[in-house]
Amino acid sequence: MKNQQKYTALAVTLSLGMLLSACQQNSPKTQLTLTGSSTVAPLTSEIAKRFEAKHPGVRIDVQTGGSSRGLADARSRLANIGMVSRNLKGNETGEFQSFAIARDGISIILNTNNPVKILSNEQILNIYQGKIENWKQVGGKDAPITVVNKAEGRSTLELFLGYFKLENSQIKADVVIGDNQQGIKTVAGNPNAIGYVSIGTAEYDIERGVPIQLLPIGGVEASTKTVQNGTFPLSRPLLLVTAKPPSGLTKEFIDFAQSQEVYDIVKQQNFVPIATKNVAKTSVR
Amino acid sequence: MAKKKGVQKSEVRSQKSEVNFLPCSPASPASPSPHLPISPSPPPLSLLPTITVWAIALLVTATFAWIVGDIIWHGAGTISWEFLTTAPKNSGREGGIAPILVATGLILGVCLAVSLPLGIGTAILLAEFTPTDSWFGRLVRRSLDVLAGVPSIVFGLFGNVFFARTLGLGFSILSGGLTLACMVLPILIRSAEEGLRAVPNDYRLAAASLGLSRTTTLWQLLLPAAVPGLLVGLVLGIGRAMAETAALIFTSGYVDRMPQSLFDSGRALSIHIFDLSMNVSGGDTNAYGSALVLVVLLLLINGTAAQIADRWLHKF
Repeated sequence: MKNQQKYTALAVTLSLGMLLSACQQNSPKTQLTLTGSSTVAPLTSEIAKRFEAKHPGVRIDVQTGGSSRGLADARSRLANIGMVSRNLKGNETGEFQSFAIARDGISIILNTNNPVKILSNEQILNIYQGKIENWKQVGGKDAPITVVNKAEGRSTLELFLGYFKLENSQIKADVVIGDNQQGIKTVAGNPNAIGYVSIGTAEYDIERGVPIQLLPIGGVEASTKTVQNGTFPLSRPLLLVTAKPPSGLTKEFIDFAQSQEVYDIVKQQNFVPIATKNVAKTSVR
Repeated sequence: MAKKKGVQKSEVRSQKSEVNFLPCSPASPASPSPHLPISPSPPPLSLLPTITVWAIALLVTATFAWIVGDIIWHGAGTISWEFLTTAPKNSGREGGIAPILVATGLILGVCLAVSLPLGIGTAILLAEFTPTDSWFGRLVRRSLDVLAGVPSIVFGLFGNVFFARTLGLGFSILSGGLTLACMVLPILIRSAEEGLRAVPNDYRLAAASLGLSRTTTLWQLLLPAAVPGLLVGLVLGIGRAMAETAALIFTSGYVDRMPQSLFDSGRALSIHIFDLSMNVSGGDTNAYGSALVLVVLLLLINGTAAQIADRWLHKF
C-alpha cells in the first residue's frame, strides 16, 4: 500500500515535468539564438540590443559556453548562429559558413622612455620566462625588467600564450593585471615595464598622449590596419558561424553585425572592426 | 514486524540523545554531557592546542572580514538606487542590474517552489515512515550524500541535457530553477530529516497515546517542532543556489534582457559578476557592485531566517 503511494507520487512528479515541457511554445522567425565564445558574447549582446531596438518584436538570445560549444550548437541547429573566437581549422572550414565581425589583436607595449624599439619573438619569450632580466641584455638601459602579465582566464592571455607556445606556469611575472586599461597604466607609469594589451585600446590611448609604444611582432607593425587585414600574427578573428548558408532573420542579423553601423560597438569592446564591403542596405525586410 | 522494529530502534536513539537534547532546538550544538569523564586538571601542554584553536578561529574570521571588506571597499561607490533599477549598458560596464536581480529572484523562486515540497516530503518519508536502518532508507540517504557532493558543473550539464534539450525548455529561467532544485534537494532533505529526527520521540508516543492520527501528529506537532531544522536547510540551500554560476550558465543562460516569462533566458547575479570580471575589460567596478549586492542579499536572507527561527521558538 505504502509502495503504491510512493509510485503515485513519482508518477505525478514525472507527468508534471512532461506537462511543463508541453506548455513550451517556440515562436520561430522572430527569435534567434546565438551560443559560443565568451570573448565574442559581450560584443554580440550589444549588437543584438541595437538590432532589437531597430526591429521591434525580434528577440535575440546570446548564450556563452566557449567556441567549441558555438560550433557544436550551430552544427546541431540548437543555435541559429555560433560564435567562435579563433580561425576555423581543418574540416570545419568546409562544414561551416563563417562571417568575421571583428578581429582581436594584441601586441607588446613599452614605455616611450624605453629606448628598445624592437624585440624578437625569442627575446620576448625569454623575458617572459625570466631568462632575460635586464634591459641591457636586449640593447636597452641597465635596468631590471618589470614583467606585466594578464590574470588567469583573460582571452588576451590565452592568445598570447597560444602564439608563444607557453604555459602560464612558465611565466615569471612581476605584476599581474586584469584588464587592458590597467596594463596600459602600469606600463605608462613604469619606464622599465613590458606588457601586452589589445591593440585597439593601446592605439586609442597613444593618440591621447599616454606615454606608451606598441612594438611590432614578427616584423609586422602593430596597428589596427595590420590586424584588420589579418597580416598581424598575434591576432584572431571573431566569427559568427552557421551550418548552412544563412537566410531570413539570420542573414539579416549577420549582415547587420558586419555593417559599419556597429563599428562603434566593436571599438567600445576593444576589438578591431573589419573592413568589409560597404554595406549600404541594412534592412532586407 | 518491520514497523515494530523501527519503533524500538527510535526509542533507543531517543534515549541516547536525551541527555544533551534541548527541546525544539535541533540546530543548537550539543552541550557537554555530564556523563563524559572530565580530567580533573588539564595538563600544562594543553595551552598549545588552545592557542592553535584560537588562531584558526581568528584566521577564519579574518579571511571572511577581509573578503567582505574588500567587496564593500570596491563596491560601495557603485551602489545607488539607479544601479538597482536600470538595465545594464555597454556589456554591463555602465548601467545597472535590474533585469539580473529579477532573473535571479525568479530562478530562486522556481528552485524553492519545486525543491521545498519535494524536499520536506522526502524528509518526512525518511524520518517518520522509514526505519533508520532499512535498505531503502540507507540507499536514499547514501545517494543524497553522494549527490550533495557532486560538483555543480555536473548538475549544469545534466540540466542542459535534460531540462533544456530533452524536455525542450531551452535556455530559460525554468531550466535554471529546476537544475538548481536538483542541486539543493540533497541539502534540504538531509537537514529537514535531521530536524525531524531531533524531535523527541516522547512527542510521538504522547500523541499516539492521545489517539491522534499520524497526519495530525505530523502537521500539528512534528513539523512545527522541526521548523528551525528546516530553516537551516533552507538557508544553506538558498546560499548554494544564489552563489551558483557553473550550473546556470548552461541552463538559465546569459541574456541580460528583463525576463518576460519563465521561459525566457535570464542572467543570474553570479553569472553577471563572472562575466564582468572575466570577459569584459573595464567591468570590474560594476562586478564589485554586483558582488556587494549578492553578499548583502545573502546576509539579509540568513538574518531573516535566523529571526524567524528565533520567533518561532518563543512562540512554540
